[in-house]
Amino acid sequence: SKGKSAAALGIDEEIEVTRKPRAPRVKLDEHRLLSKNGIPKLRKKAKNLKFKGKGHEYSDASRLLAFYQLWLDDLFPKARFLDALAMVEKMGHKKMMQSARMEWINEGKPHSGVH
Amino acid sequence: ADGKRDVVDPEVRAYVSSLVTALGGSGADEDGRYVLGDDALACLRDLKKWLKLYDEKANRLDVARCLAESNLVGGDLLQILAAWPENATDDRLKSKIALACLELLVPLTWPLDKNSKEMTVNHHRHVPYLEIAQLGYKRSIINFDGARILHTAIRCALPSMAVDMGDQSTRDEGIIKLLLYFVRNIAMIAPPPNVQYEGDEAEISRSATIDAFDYQDVFHLLLTVSSTIGEDYNTQDVVVLDILFHLIKGVDIEKLFLDEKAADNSKMDELVRLRKKEAAMLRSYQTNAPTRHNRFGAMAWLQREDAKMTTISGQAAATDSSRGLAKMDATKKFKPPRRALKGDNGPMDFDTPVHLSVQATKHLRAFVEEFLDSGFNPLFNHIRKAIDREAERVLEYHPRQFFYLISWFLEAERVRRRNKKPSKVQKSAVSEEVDSYSLVASVLNQEMFVTLNRAMDYTFEHKSWQDLSAAMKCFTQILLTVHDMSESPLEDDQEIAENILNRIFYEETTHDRVANITRTYKDQGFGYLDSCTELSHHYLRILEQYSKQNVDLQVRSRRRVRRKKKAARAAGQDDADDDIVDESEGEDTTRAERTSHERKFEFKRFAARFLSQGCVDTFVTFVAYYNDLKSSQLKRAHRFFYRVAFKQEMSVMLFRVNIIALFYKMVKGPEGLDPQSSSYKEWDEFVKQILKKCTRKIQERPELVVEMLFSKINSTAHYLEYGYEKQTVTTK
Repeated sequence: SKGKSAAALGIDEEIEVTRKPRAPRVKLDEHRLLSKNGIPKLRKKAKNLKFKGKGHEYSDASRLLAFYQLWLDDLFPKARFLDALAMVEKMGHKKMMQSARMEWINEGKPHSGVH
Repeated sequence: ADGKRDVVDPEVRAYVSSLVTALGGSGADEDGRYVLGDDALACLRDLKKWLKLYDEKANRLDVARCLAESNLVGGDLLQILAAWPENATDDRLKSKIALACLELLVPLTWPLDKNSKEMTVNHHRHVPYLEIAQLGYKRSIINFDGARILHTAIRCALPSMAVDMGDQSTRDEGIIKLLLYFVRNIAMIAPPPNVQYEGDEAEISRSATIDAFDYQDVFHLLLTVSSTIGEDYNTQDVVVLDILFHLIKGVDIEKLFLDEKAADNSKMDELVRLRKKEAAMLRSYQTNAPTRHNRFGAMAWLQREDAKMTTISGQAAATDSSRGLAKMDATKKFKPPRRALKGDNGPMDFDTPVHLSVQATKHLRAFVEEFLDSGFNPLFNHIRKAIDREAERVLEYHPRQFFYLISWFLEAERVRRRNKKPSKVQKSAVSEEVDSYSLVASVLNQEMFVTLNRAMDYTFEHKSWQDLSAAMKCFTQILLTVHDMSESPLEDDQEIAENILNRIFYEETTHDRVANITRTYKDQGFGYLDSCTELSHHYLRILEQYSKQNVDLQVRSRRRVRRKKKAARAAGQDDADDDIVDESEGEDTTRAERTSHERKFEFKRFAARFLSQGCVDTFVTFVAYYNDLKSSQLKRAHRFFYRVAFKQEMSVMLFRVNIIALFYKMVKGPEGLDPQSSSYKEWDEFVKQILKKCTRKIQERPELVVEMLFSKINSTAHYLEYGYEKQTVTTK
């Protein structure tokens, strides 16, 4: 009825301006970390990690760091290595992450008689 | 003033400038001499009333602004003071006029408070102008050609100072305070941060201030007041504290105590050292710099899994994969939001280093030595009592100054002793009288510890970080002094030191506090970070040494106590509970063995408090500044990490990717430590050990690959380190 009266008065009808919502920002949260490309992939890839040992400490370390860097670049390409590390570390305090971490650790533990 | 709309009420301006004009002036008729107006004294008093009744009452700064624009200070007040010759001190009128000048100078040079909630539009309008004007005041006061203005100011107060404290009237006390506040204001005025001073900075620098204080006998004044505080002066203590603080904040003590020849050498060494550092920096840049022109256009790709590729431009990637990765990282634009550090840049900041000229260094050192000899104990004792009693004159910022100054002077005393030593060794056969530590004893007593502990608790709880930082510095220096004392050849010193150390060693609350402070660092700024890492380093180190103190030493100390007690008994003072006297040598040894065993255990328990991730993170944040750290600071971090990883066997705490990345970068660069520096070698060795342990651990326990991303809680860390759960007793 409002539109009708507006037409009767010769006023243009109100045009609704809808703005397209901004694309949500990609975040490095616990869901991303626990997804297929997250820590599960890191654990899988870690099996191929080989070190040369004594006398090659620095080259081993650089290989280790590259390993993490490439993984993080795949998981969350927009942040720099150290920034991304800080974000991941922060996520580690979340409940969900902590229980997942406990599980991974318990998987590695030798099975004792006590349950 | 020039017909445009004025920032000040024109009527006020008219009144004030007519007063300034009536004050006096110089003219050709009098050969350029300054001649007082007929009613100069009344003019001065009127001006004072204007400042008080208009500016202060109505909370404006209009009169101050007018006076700054009319050049009252340089054009009139200083001229009047300069025209008060030494031999005319008895002239009643002239000394009254001089005092009236001082009464104007103090409010005009008074620090402008920019953070108060009472700031009005007027303040925002005038404060920037007045800040610059005050710099001008300072410049003309300390560099005045015709006379020693500060000295003249002191003369104004001399008659009042000559009166005994008991006979001092309130007016006398006020005049002395006025003078001291004047000196404080002059010492305090400095270009505000972020403002470029347009004149010659050397004229208002700290060096210029110190030189002026020396030349104009201000140092004598300070020494007199501080050494007789409590006898001749009472309420002036906090002002002296204020002056000392603004005089010495940020001064490097090591540099202060280098003698002139060594200073010359060290300047050369400094230059050589800096050039070397620069060369090392360039070298590391050059090894990574492109070898061809910047449009050469090399492009490399990095084969990733799933047939994915990453392209990297520039030749760096083609030569070295790790540099390729670094380049890939560097091209990313995203930056997570970051919080600013909560530092302090105001006048109460003490972390900004100050450089002094050779002259000023000499003057200041002479003053510091005399102050230590005569003023230290009376002044700081007196102020401590005032703080404890929460006296009205003690303001919020005084405890900070108090603790900072104590730490500064204690360090100065230690450096002075260290420098004296070499000559002592030569003459050791003569066995000259050794100085005891009584010169600084007033800050080593139990009351001081109570005050300090209370201050640390309070500031920690109320998050006043700069105050806490000052208190921590103070505690560190007390610890170091006590430690030096325990190595003194004098038995009394040893005994006092041992008593203090013993008390600290068993004080759990202090242990908790130090560990807590270290654990909870977050954005408090570098100065705070430096203080808290320094404290925990020395605290751990000194207590460790104390716990290791061998049996022999303890037997000796017991023997000493027994001898003393015996002597006391012989003198007839019978103590009821001195069981020690009746023991034999053999009992001494077994008892000593038991305590030393106990202490080792105690220490281990105590050191474990520093194993938390929070403490490790604090030290990691600290060492991330490695390129700006001095070698002693690098050593501090090194010892801490070494302790965590090897002495306490909890290297797992360091196995986190960002820590490993930092360690790797420190040694291998780019922008790592200079390989020729003294610290490089021990860091290289340490990092290598850590990396070796880390890779071995990963192979041993694959779970670590994931845990390396996170902060570990203690039980996880324990499992990763030892492979089994920590046995904990749970009580229900």
